[in-house]
Amino acid sequence: MPRPPSRSARVLLALLLCGARLAAAQDPWVRVAAQAIPSYTFVNHVPGGGNLGEARIVQPVLMAHAGALADHLRFVGTLDLEGWTMPDGELTPGAWGEGFIDRRHPHTYFHELMLSGVAPVGGADGALRIGVSLGKGFAPFGSDDPMSRPALRYPVNHHFSQILERAVLIGAAAAGPVTLEAGIFDGDEPEYPGQWPLIRGRFGDSWSLRLTLRPLPWLELEGSRARVHSPEHRPGAGTDNWKWHASGRAEGPLLGGVAYAMVEWARTSEQDGFFVFHSVLSESAWSRGAHRPYVRYERTERPEEQRLADPFRAPRPHLENSIIGMTRWNILTAGYGYRLGARPARLQIQPFGEASCAIVGSVGGGIFDPASFYGRTRLWSLSLGIRLGWDIEGHRMGRYGVAAPPMNNEAMSMRMNHE
Amino acid sequence: MARLTPLCALLAGAAAMGCGGSSSAPTSPGPGGGGPGPSPSLIASVPIPENYGIHDTYVRDGVVFVFAWNSGVMIYDIGGAGRGGTPANPVLVSSFVTSGGEVHNGWWFHNPVSGQNRYLFIGQEGPGIVGSSSSGDIHVVDVSDLAAPVEVAFFHLGDVGGKSTGTHNFWLDEQAQLLYAAYYNGGVVALDVSGTLSGDLAAQGRLLANVQPGGPGNTYVWGVQQAEGAVYALDMLSGLWKLSSGTLAPLGGGNNVAERFSSDLWVQNGYAYTGTWGTRGTVPGNTVKIWSVGVGSPVLVDSIITPGIGTVSDVQVSPSGTLLMFSTEHGINQGIWFYRLTDPARPILISSYLVSSQSLGVHTATLAPYNGRLYLFAARDPSGAALLVFDVTALDQ
Repeated sequence: MPRPPSRSARVLLALLLCGARLAAAQDPWVRVAAQAIPSYTFVNHVPGGGNLGEARIVQPVLMAHAGALADHLRFVGTLDLEGWTMPDGELTPGAWGEGFIDRRHPHTYFHELMLSGVAPVGGADGALRIGVSLGKGFAPFGSDDPMSRPALRYPVNHHFSQILERAVLIGAAAAGPVTLEAGIFDGDEPEYPGQWPLIRGRFGDSWSLRLTLRPLPWLELEGSRARVHSPEHRPGAGTDNWKWHASGRAEGPLLGGVAYAMVEWARTSEQDGFFVFHSVLSESAWSRGAHRPYVRYERTERPEEQRLADPFRAPRPHLENSIIGMTRWNILTAGYGYRLGARPARLQIQPFGEASCAIVGSVGGGIFDPASFYGRTRLWSLSLGIRLGWDIEGHRMGRYGVAAPPMNNEAMSMRMNHE
Repeated sequence: MARLTPLCALLAGAAAMGCGGSSSAPTSPGPGGGGPGPSPSLIASVPIPENYGIHDTYVRDGVVFVFAWNSGVMIYDIGGAGRGGTPANPVLVSSFVTSGGEVHNGWWFHNPVSGQNRYLFIGQEGPGIVGSSSSGDIHVVDVSDLAAPVEVAFFHLGDVGGKSTGTHNFWLDEQAQLLYAAYYNGGVVALDVSGTLSGDLAAQGRLLANVQPGGPGNTYVWGVQQAEGAVYALDMLSGLWKLSSGTLAPLGGGNNVAERFSSDLWVQNGYAYTGTWGTRGTVPGNTVKIWSVGVGSPVLVDSIITPGIGTVSDVQVSPSGTLLMFSTEHGINQGIWFYRLTDPARPILISSYLVSSQSLGVHTATLAPYNGRLYLFAARDPSGAALLVFDVTALDQ
């Protein structure tokens, strides 16, 4: 049963739009972007065996980036409407988290609400810039949110490679090609789209660090470490996660177009190493003219939880620390998008098709048997849809203030328009 | 052989059931439930911190031990601890967190040899991979002073077959001073708990027997009970086993529940009642199996299937032998179910108490007589974790 739109969500929407009008007439700046992806996904097989196809509007977001006081003060706000358009999640074999399995969970309505202060040290052109960010958003850990990456399909490693929708306080410093971020936040992850982070008793119980190097304009290297307390049990009785993450990301001109590539590795250890999950992922895209092919390979382990009568759901809140098995997902995803209309343009209309082949197997024992549960161990999925966006391309999600990529600070220019 | 719970009794929230054979139209005392017989009377609801809520309760001599995970063991007086408590108004005496927390179950040892009621055995349920590995030790707490418990000893089994092991439910042969503990992939252990208990019990040679009845890769024992001259162990993977007391040598049974994972058990009056858990393949754990456990191996004689649940989490028969109770989770019919045992091989539904879908169900429930009445102490899962106390005397006729 989808929860009704909250009053606060409507208020935020009004604030975003009013803020855009006000700021447009003044020295402070604001840019608004939006995205929605109507899509149809067909999967063979789903839990219990058999095929299933569903049409959903996924990743519907409205974003506002703003700056004031000569950009010393910045704001990032993202309203995510998935709680309305896909309350039961998005059909995604391998996806898990927040009580959903083999469906990607809807995000909270207030995906990001971050205010950042940025100051140079040693004069306006100081070599060192420091900043503080506060609000609800991403902890400084891992790679960009999958929403701002080429494939529609969320990777299995979403909860290993990003820490999001937390009340977070971040301190950051950047000098030349080096950026260091440190954050504290609440460990609890959301349980439903209208839920806010638990401040009392939880804020500050978790921390993360992220070091980023940009040795070349097109190259970014990142390493992260985090301790997340009881992410899956809101009152705090759950196990702690110790996380590592490293990635390399490149983006720049190539063969008359623009190429993007990212490779990441993640490791999450729970309960003093009783459970350890690994992930390796690589993805790339190349845009030239209206064409945009992309590909991703992922090898990720995930926990298998006891499921409810709805085989796409797991019990929440947790009652104990046991799982019924671990599985390893090898997934190859390939897609192609074709942009319609004149370019460059703020409006993006890009029909696309995307196919995935996942091979799932058990690791580490347990009673979960993928072959009997899915009816097979090779699972196919096909998605067809249209990416609709307004000033969305080039936007990267998950870094704020001093650490925000130049692309986000200067403009939401379209990644595909970088030819 | 399998029988469905009468459909009319399954309608969640039904206030008046009127099933065939009903002599009255019982009203539901809670969010839902009912049945053709008398209803359980809810007399107390004690909120419990949602640190995973309650996993089990142990009730004896007017004292209730609530095993509440990282909140530890919470000791309540219902008339036996001199704090003015009653079943309708439990009074907290003390609480205590054993080393590592994850407090799951326990047994208050009344030692007939020493005459002491000194030790409380507590099971720690650490993390595990169901069917493969587990963790958690047995902790021994001195409760000579119920207001000031002190942990005095522990038992750690160690790895079996290269996998860590952890304890689950207990049974104590008090006369023989033997603690039987289900140990998941570690099987079943028998511990000598005579005399003074202190320090590392394993190092003192107190482990008398250890068996993995289903063998390597086919053992994950949930519960154990001594009854009918044997020890019965219910293995989630390989079913119901009959073991010899003391040595734990297999006497019969095993590999007799293939379609579902097994859960809790109760053996009384020549019959065993065994629950089922989770989903095996596509078959839900919605069944209580009824076994004849006379001479030789257990023989399946009947089963009760309750649609709208995913797990039978606890099973018990009243001391009089006339009332079968089981708790359920994960579905619209989650709660507590009561059956009359006029014929112990053919239980008859008399009542149920269903809990809201905000909760995951009822994790465990314990029948306990006190002052001439029969009470049920039930662990309602989060959200809304609570110790529910029912007067079920009327159902035990």
